[in-house]
Amino acid sequence: MTMMHADASGNHADASMTLGERRPGMTRKAPRDAARHQTAALSAFLLVQTVAAVFFVGDVIGDLREDPTSIHFLFEATVTVALVLGVLFGAFTLRRTIEFLRSQEAALDVARGALSDVIARQFLDWALTPAERDVAFLALKGLDVAEIAELRGAAQGTVRAQLTRIYAKAGVSGRAQFAAFFVEDLLGAGVAPAP
Amino acid sequence: MAPPRTIPAPATDVLTAEAATTAPPALWDPVVRLSHWGIAAAVVLNALVNQGGSVAHVSIGWAAMALLLMRLVWGVLGPAEARFSAFPPNPRTGLAHLRGMFSGERPRSYPSHNPAGALMVYLFWGALVVVVGTGLVMTGGATPMQIAADKAAVASGDWSALIRDDGTDRDVRSDFGKGAEEMHEVAANLLLILAALHIAGVFVEGRLMRRNLLAPMLLGSKPDARTPRRK
Repeated sequence: MTMMHADASGNHADASMTLGERRPGMTRKAPRDAARHQTAALSAFLLVQTVAAVFFVGDVIGDLREDPTSIHFLFEATVTVALVLGVLFGAFTLRRTIEFLRSQEAALDVARGALSDVIARQFLDWALTPAERDVAFLALKGLDVAEIAELRGAAQGTVRAQLTRIYAKAGVSGRAQFAAFFVEDLLGAGVAPAP
Repeated sequence: MAPPRTIPAPATDVLTAEAATTAPPALWDPVVRLSHWGIAAAVVLNALVNQGGSVAHVSIGWAAMALLLMRLVWGVLGPAEARFSAFPPNPRTGLAHLRGMFSGERPRSYPSHNPAGALMVYLFWGALVVVVGTGLVMTGGATPMQIAADKAAVASGDWSALIRDDGTDRDVRSDFGKGAEEMHEVAANLLLILAALHIAGVFVEGRLMRRNLLAPMLLGSKPDARTPRRK
């Protein structure tokens, strides 16, 4: 079972790069894929176990018809019952795992969507032009001026000027404060004063 | 520190929330997928490739029985869309769905199998139960290991393996045994017909819904290729 869901990471994103995509260079294997591989492996294992259990049950029934009082039968029957219970328990655990993964995925999607909503609204609120919005997104994703210029096929000077206008419209001093504007809400506790 | 801001409260995204609960899964869970393809392979192999009564045929039959049993257990223990409650057998809605399909309207989506698909699933399971059950009757419930041992004994000249414990010759079949064999054949052919209908149904429904219905049963679609998240 190969379950490749390689993200389109590493390849060249064009200027229409949005918040949902990963910036090149910040490649990281999605934990979602690892979890999927894991559940797939668990399921395959569960099915192999089921096949084994069914064969054993058949064997035990055969023994039962031959000599139900033999030690061999009693022992094998016990082992088989344990195996069947193990399979059922495994199925139940697998269901829990799958549901847990899904709820996590859903929560992540909601958080992502909510954050990008908030950002998009704020950009509108600041009256950024479409070009400025693109540049601001890329800046938020951590790309530097040279990278943004390359992605947008623009001169670095243009991007620098756009960033300056963006910071002015947002009323922030620079890139650090610009990024902090959106992160601040996510950090629940206030900043502790230095002792 | 940061300037005052006016961020309007995010409006609840009703559309996506609804789509998440009524759309069929983007990817079926691994147990459903593995049992689906395992049983499909078993049916094709046993119907078309290997010889009835051979050790391979019986072994594959037992494996298919195990996969079927696990799928039925999964129908109770599995995640929501794999459970029986997500696709109750209902011939009325099933036929209505088919009628809608033939009139060419775009089918609405369901959280699990559509009503016609659900009927197909239960027919499949019914036919599989018949095939497996009659197969067990035909082999006297012997496991593949026993059959292999019997065959090896016969090959080495020990013909006593052909005599069952109750003293009846295995080759002298009762009417019951003959009936089982007949039913085994009929149900096996029914399985192949159902499989053909199933493939046609997936194709037509996929065309009408403009949605790839095969991907969720394989590896799912790439996350990026899914419906655009934001406008």
